[in-house]
Amino acid sequence: MKKLIPILFLALLASAQMKAPDAEQFVGSPKGTPLTGDALDQRSHEIAGLLRCPVCQGLAIADSPSEMAINMKGQVRELLSRGFTEEQILAYFERSYGQFVLLKPKFRGVNSLVWTLPIFALLIGAMLVVLKIRKLEAPAGEGAGAPQSDDYVARVRDLVNK
Amino acid sequence: MNRSVLIVGGIITAALVAVLYFALGNDPQHIDSPLVGAVAPDFRLKAVGSGEAVDLSRYRGKPVVLNFWATWCHPCWDEHPVLTENAQMMGDRVQFVGVVFQDDEKKITDFLQQRGWAYPTLVDDRGKTAIAYGVGGVPETFFLDKHGTIVAKFDGPMSTEILQENLQKAMR
Repeated sequence: MKKLIPILFLALLASAQMKAPDAEQFVGSPKGTPLTGDALDQRSHEIAGLLRCPVCQGLAIADSPSEMAINMKGQVRELLSRGFTEEQILAYFERSYGQFVLLKPKFRGVNSLVWTLPIFALLIGAMLVVLKIRKLEAPAGEGAGAPQSDDYVARVRDLVNK
Repeated sequence: MNRSVLIVGGIITAALVAVLYFALGNDPQHIDSPLVGAVAPDFRLKAVGSGEAVDLSRYRGKPVVLNFWATWCHPCWDEHPVLTENAQMMGDRVQFVGVVFQDDEKKITDFLQQRGWAYPTLVDDRGKTAIAYGVGGVPETFFLDKHGTIVAKFDGPMSTEILQENLQKAMR
């Protein structure tokens, strides 16, 4: 037991010296209030629902049982407990993984098409429907069939008069 | 058929075919790293074996090959001899560093003792360093130039050709 104490002490000292890259150096100091208890649980789950698990098929880290997702959830929780805001946390993950990690794409660049194309398609569809309805409502004679040539009309008149 | 319907249908079909054409050629697991061109996030991690705390910044001044791996990852087994051979071949000119995440230190030590140990291997506690580097799956390798800037990233196991090709970018 006596031999174990210095080893344990050295191990503790070594782990205290370790330093993973910290979010603060990339997204600045925490701008929010440090969360604890139920509020921390709830916000952790909400933000974990906005981040894509990089080793899964379209799953949020909130829903993934993978170790990678568990580590990411742990990091979200730690950042919230230190007072980082949702915006800062998403920016931190985006800095490492790119926009891929955001389940809700930002309205920026090519991604803006995700938001604009459905509206554009809806407008075109509505225009086509309106045009079709107008065409159907127009009087039967109006615009239906091309006007016949004078020769043709004269020939018909001749035949009728005979 | 109505001409406008034909045109709209043609545009939609062309767009879908274009999306499929470009998407089918891509690896769905591949993530383009936004960190390429940025300074590599610094860290201080525990070395397997010695227990020494190793700072990434201590290697500034020469190119670094930073390899994320794990003993449970079979492609990493194939890549290991490529890394050790190249590390021995490049000597002091390039620093190779392994970072192991989601793993057990005993398993790492056993693995390295069986398969060779040519450069420092560090333990990433709770995957924090891997997350800071945007690691999705292992193996993933980052190539840092002498200033500590990430100049390339490769997903998956590397051959010597791939490793050397990326290393050239770091040595420029």
